[in-house]
Amino acid sequence: MRKNDSKPMTPRETSVYELNPAAHSGAGAPSGGGPGGLPESLLRENELWSCRFRWMVVAVMIMFGTFSFFPAIFRPLGFRTRLWWPFVVAGLATISNILFLWHAGQFNISDDGGAATVNLWSQIGIDLILLTGVVHYTGSVETYISFAYLFHVILACIFFSRRESLLVTTAAAVLYIVCVELENIGIIPLEGVYAGGHIRDAIQQQPLGVHLNVFSAVAIWFVVWYLASALSAMVRQRETELEEANTRLERAQQERTRHMLRTTHELKAPFTAIMANSQLLLEGHCGELPEETEEVVRRISDRSERLAAEIQEMLQLANLTSESSAPPKYTVLSLNKIVQGAVEKINHIAEEKNVTVEADLEPAEVAGAEEQLEMLFHNLLANAVFYSHRDGTVRVETAGDEASGATARVSDNGIGIPEEKLPSIFDEYYRTNEAVRQHKESTGLGLAIVKQVAEEHGARIRVESAPEVGTSFTVQFPPVNETSSETEEQKDGLHTGGGR
Amino acid sequence: MAYILVADDDEDFAEATATILRDDGHEVVVELEVERALDSIQERRPDLLVLDVMFPEDASAGFDAARKIQQLGREYAQMPVLMLTAINQRFPLGFGPEEIDDDWLPVSDFMEKPVDFSILRKKVEDLLDEAESASDRESGE
Repeated sequence: MRKNDSKPMTPRETSVYELNPAAHSGAGAPSGGGPGGLPESLLRENELWSCRFRWMVVAVMIMFGTFSFFPAIFRPLGFRTRLWWPFVVAGLATISNILFLWHAGQFNISDDGGAATVNLWSQIGIDLILLTGVVHYTGSVETYISFAYLFHVILACIFFSRRESLLVTTAAAVLYIVCVELENIGIIPLEGVYAGGHIRDAIQQQPLGVHLNVFSAVAIWFVVWYLASALSAMVRQRETELEEANTRLERAQQERTRHMLRTTHELKAPFTAIMANSQLLLEGHCGELPEETEEVVRRISDRSERLAAEIQEMLQLANLTSESSAPPKYTVLSLNKIVQGAVEKINHIAEEKNVTVEADLEPAEVAGAEEQLEMLFHNLLANAVFYSHRDGTVRVETAGDEASGATARVSDNGIGIPEEKLPSIFDEYYRTNEAVRQHKESTGLGLAIVKQVAEEHGARIRVESAPEVGTSFTVQFPPVNETSSETEEQKDGLHTGGGR
Repeated sequence: MAYILVADDDEDFAEATATILRDDGHEVVVELEVERALDSIQERRPDLLVLDVMFPEDASAGFDAARKIQQLGREYAQMPVLMLTAINQRFPLGFGPEEIDDDWLPVSDFMEKPVDFSILRKKVEDLLDEAESASDRESGE
């Protein structure tokens, strides 16, 4: 968007602003990680997970070494006994594990990013070397132990980018080939777990012998690397896309909330000014008004007040029913405190109407969104007061029951609702003729809000009413435990907190 | 008679408020921009500030201004601030007294718009009385 002006301007006066669509598109780089590898926080988790896993390897090595000290069992099975190398491997793994854990602890707080990567790569390096030792002593081509390298190949595919996992696979292949070739040349002696003669001798008598075995093993690793890394890259790409989509949705949600607040302000502001100036006139700040004029001003003021209230309720309802709105945070709340707060807020209206509000509030707990529940009880209490006769009484009760859930009841001895009209009272903008006669400023949205909040909270509402006798609304909430298990899945988690 | 500053971008509302408070015998100055209100406060400290939340350039300028005033010094931290709002940054439309604290919103009291002037006048008098007795206590010590 370029600011234009019909008059020519000197360069100093000219201000240019271009609206850059890219800056407003909402697309941005996802936080951390990216398609290449895992975010640093996950790498940290993985380095600790690897250390825990290594303790298991240490235990297996010690067990293996210990068993070999029972020749009566092992010798008849054709195994060598009195093996020392499992203890050496277990010892080296223990030392390296302690060092890795110390390193992880040292750099956990500094959060400099690279520490976790260094730690994890060092672990991979040491593990590959130790594994090569195990492979050598177990029998590099006589057993299937060389497939243990695949653990590292697959883990590298999960943790790192394709290039990095290829590096791990290549390192594993090089170490394995070097080990076997050194054995072949005779630089290091042949070892193995089998006691009698070497199976290797039989293999070596074939024309391609050991080389074919080594080649086929390494070829399989590379095929596994190709498949696992491709799959991992696809999953990671999808994760990045989802993360981006989520970021966009969150931004849209924030924008929507901002827009709603701004709209509320803009819609309410004119009425605020009209009502403020009406009050100036009505209170005689601008001189005495003729009776007829005063009546007209009062009507203007009343209608403004009603319209302002209606706008507020419309926006509240729109926000409650909006599918795109972020789910509110559910907490364990003190129902009696919420109701007490609603009673305090309604007291000044009750006093004006000379309506007595009697509260009998037993401790009760509910799981829910505090602000929504405040709205629910404000609306129920406001209705009870508005539709009470002068000098009437509104009764509010709460009761807690761990097994069946908390209950709140708001009852009045006001105008009541005819039976045939009861099914419609929760409809938006529905107002009975009796209600309009009693309180013409009502918007017909209060009970729609009550219904919406109750549904959100899985609460049941029971209405009992008789014309000219009164009305009673009973809200039955589900037990806190029941709500918490549902909300943990559907909402943003359940947190314990105070009522107000 | 107290010196009161009304900071609100809605001139129609601000002037009506000023008229009501002037008729109660107070000296009232209206500022329609939050920056000018902050300058005015520093030029002459009012006995009470009536502060709106939303201003055209910033939807939460009033909140920020209340926090800035706290940092102007002890004298200003003790100045009563009555906040007026047609919205709530949280939900629903109208924040409660529990949100008023030095960490989140350092104001003395709040009112939701549209305002009932009889309540506003009562709150103004109460806040001025409280500020006066606090200042008396301090000078007594």
